[in-house]
Amino acid sequence: MKFKLFVFIISFAFGSNGFGQSVNGVVVDQELEPLIGATILELGTRNGSVTDINGRFQLTLRTKINKLVISFTGFKTDTIAANLTEPMRITLSENVSELGEVVVTSSPTFMDQLESKHVEIITEAELNKAACCNLSESFETNASVDVSYTDAVSGAKTIRMLGLDGRYVQINRENTPHIRGLIGRYGLGYIPGTWIQSIDVGKGSGSIVNGYESMTGQLNVELKKPETSEALYLNGYVNSFGRMEANANHARDLSDKWSTAFLFHGDYFSNEIDNNNDGFLDLPKSRQFNLMNRYKFMGDRLRNQIGIQVMRDEKAGGQLGYGFGDDFQNSTPYGFMNNTTRVEVFGKTGLLFPQKPYKGWGFIYSGSYTDINAGFGRNEYLGTEKTGYVNAIYQNILSNSFHQYKAGASFLIDDFEEVYADSAFSRQEVVPGVYYEYSYLPGEKFSLILGGRIDFHNLYGNLYSPRLHTRYQLSDKTSLRLAAGRGYRVANPIIESSNILVSSRQLVVQEAPEPEISWNLGGSLVTNLKLGHEDLNLVFDYFYTNFENQLIYDMDQSSDNLFIYNLNGDSYAHSFQVEAKYALNQFLEVKAAYKFYDVRTTIAGRLQEVSFVSRDRFFLNASYATKYDKWKADITVHWYGQKRLPDTGDKPVELQRQAESPDYFHINAQVSRGYRWGSIYLGSENLLGFTQDDPIIDANNPFGEDFDASIVWGPIVGRMVYAGVRYKIKRANN
Amino acid sequence: MKTLKLLIILTVLILVYGHTSAQKEPIKVAGGHKVEIKTSAVCSMCKEAIEYDLAFEKGVKSAVLDVPSKVVTVVYNPKKTDADKIRKRITKVGYHADSLQRDSVAYEKLPFCCKDDAHEGEHEPH
Repeated sequence: MKFKLFVFIISFAFGSNGFGQSVNGVVVDQELEPLIGATILELGTRNGSVTDINGRFQLTLRTKINKLVISFTGFKTDTIAANLTEPMRITLSENVSELGEVVVTSSPTFMDQLESKHVEIITEAELNKAACCNLSESFETNASVDVSYTDAVSGAKTIRMLGLDGRYVQINRENTPHIRGLIGRYGLGYIPGTWIQSIDVGKGSGSIVNGYESMTGQLNVELKKPETSEALYLNGYVNSFGRMEANANHARDLSDKWSTAFLFHGDYFSNEIDNNNDGFLDLPKSRQFNLMNRYKFMGDRLRNQIGIQVMRDEKAGGQLGYGFGDDFQNSTPYGFMNNTTRVEVFGKTGLLFPQKPYKGWGFIYSGSYTDINAGFGRNEYLGTEKTGYVNAIYQNILSNSFHQYKAGASFLIDDFEEVYADSAFSRQEVVPGVYYEYSYLPGEKFSLILGGRIDFHNLYGNLYSPRLHTRYQLSDKTSLRLAAGRGYRVANPIIESSNILVSSRQLVVQEAPEPEISWNLGGSLVTNLKLGHEDLNLVFDYFYTNFENQLIYDMDQSSDNLFIYNLNGDSYAHSFQVEAKYALNQFLEVKAAYKFYDVRTTIAGRLQEVSFVSRDRFFLNASYATKYDKWKADITVHWYGQKRLPDTGDKPVELQRQAESPDYFHINAQVSRGYRWGSIYLGSENLLGFTQDDPIIDANNPFGEDFDASIVWGPIVGRMVYAGVRYKIKRANN
Repeated sequence: MKTLKLLIILTVLILVYGHTSAQKEPIKVAGGHKVEIKTSAVCSMCKEAIEYDLAFEKGVKSAVLDVPSKVVTVVYNPKKTDADKIRKRITKVGYHADSLQRDSVAYEKLPFCCKDDAHEGEHEPH
């Protein structure tokens, strides 16, 4: 039973041109009997398909690699060149559980491969285009995820999807809910870039299998695997501000069934950068130690994985002179501090039925302990979270493989204890839930996934999340996808507003927060138009999010306060995006996108545009790569339209801010040279050096009543130049 | 008689020479020299391995391997490298290159489908 396959050959952009074209054919054994349920994967991606009852498959290629990996339990995995001109007949020969490059994990995701959902995959090759640091910087060349700074002090970056805050995006690590709870705000910085194998970006509501929290989207981050990643991968990075990073991955086989991987990350930055001379550090000092070790067992019937991650991250920002470990409650300079310690144990178990490739059991479990010790000026924040999570999934077919289903049950226990200034909050969530997801997969023309789950929340009662995904192939080159679903989450008001707490605002929680609940409806149209020798790939998508309840962080009513209350009125987001991708020749590819957002919510009794969201955005990426990435160059241009800013009309006139931010460009570029042993790279972020003028209100009086470092709409630091080196030792093949 | 003897010797020499050295000489093409090298590649993964490796070899401008004939066609800059260096490099990847024998350590590390016995019949390995 092949639940899910990962191909671990590093995705080099090969120089031919299958991109967007489709291949089809049949997979047979040596007696020419068709193989049902054999997996066809595009090399270096997770784009794939499964053969039907006649052994037939069809697959639209997403990359230029033009190679397919065909696998089936009990047969030798084969990697072959795709034939784009005629149907292929692929013969697999029996035998040998060779692990090769292709590996099965315990997580059932037929769905990904059949693509009923609108999912974009960011591969390692794509990640390498912007060689930086952690998950928050991994969306540089992806148009669907917006990244911005949260405030002028913490240096934290946050993501947005469909025009809404990243807290409405469910961020999974290998199908386990990961960045949530107390690490919801800074957690993107806790997944180092060099650990990431690939990222799936799902727009709109996601699968119910992973829980109820995907309201605007679902990200799934796949990390380097014990059984397939490089024997050794070393990376060193330094930038012009003086930030240094070291990354080291090591993976090895312990026996023919057991393998292990060690992933390490360390970074250090303690220079005082104040390019805008406001007396505040443009970037906080930071240091991080991050280590993961996991073990995988790959049997014919049993797949097992267990791992541990230990992370310590320290940040010290604020006024010049404030350093690591200083006492912010008494120090003369204004201090910002965030020290986070996190330990997580996680695992998966998969039970396979080699004779029945459509059937399987999967168990996902994790337990974590998070401790945050933070300071914002004179205010201290202490928080701990203990989380336990179990998810059991059963997958099978109803009579034939046209009708598949997944059923399961999950259990979440989440224990929070928080202290901020003079208030203490604690809550314990106990959430058992059950779900069922039915997939109708009659062929390549049409597919439908209908799912629902009920969670029995100890604090908020029974919560229902229905989901629907459907895909219709209008023609060879055009497909339409529609999605609808309801999702919800429980907010963590202090952590989620921590970017606003770097101000003199008083935090006023006006009522007990209720769960945030939204409906998301939307769809996408993907089409390929012949233009010259190549296809022009066009993606149109539109999503509408409507909140039944939302927690409002009201910065508008008064610039002295941050009011937090439940939505009373309308709140919605319209998001429209058009993206075009075209390969000018075998070396050069251009991608452009335009996005329009209309995001409004009821703040202080009035339906208003949500602040810090550009109504219009434009994105352009040009990517040049020679064969095997020997030379690679990338440039990405972002244009951000105007954003509404919170009302500062009640401040003294000289401290007021304009109602809207100006539009601006942000350009990143990178060049890299590949060698047999790895690569070296040189790049720049914010090449134009554009920065927001005077980002901090009343920076000279950080303990005064008008200080506010939270009204940030653009870059704080100017141009940054970085360089790095990657060294790899490949895994032996046998 | 003398002439005949000479002719026979010459013929034999040519035959022998032709046999031991099927090696093709580089020819001049636009952008450098081109040489065709016979390898022991057997599948698309071998093709990948050789083309990948040669892409990073100093002076090599392009390398394309044809799996059925096992011949890799390499265009290179004669000022930076020569055909023998390229052949040597191919042996380091684990393949024969014309008359040069492959590096046995590199060969051992090749994936299963690139080994000599991988494509002989459909026997069941035990």
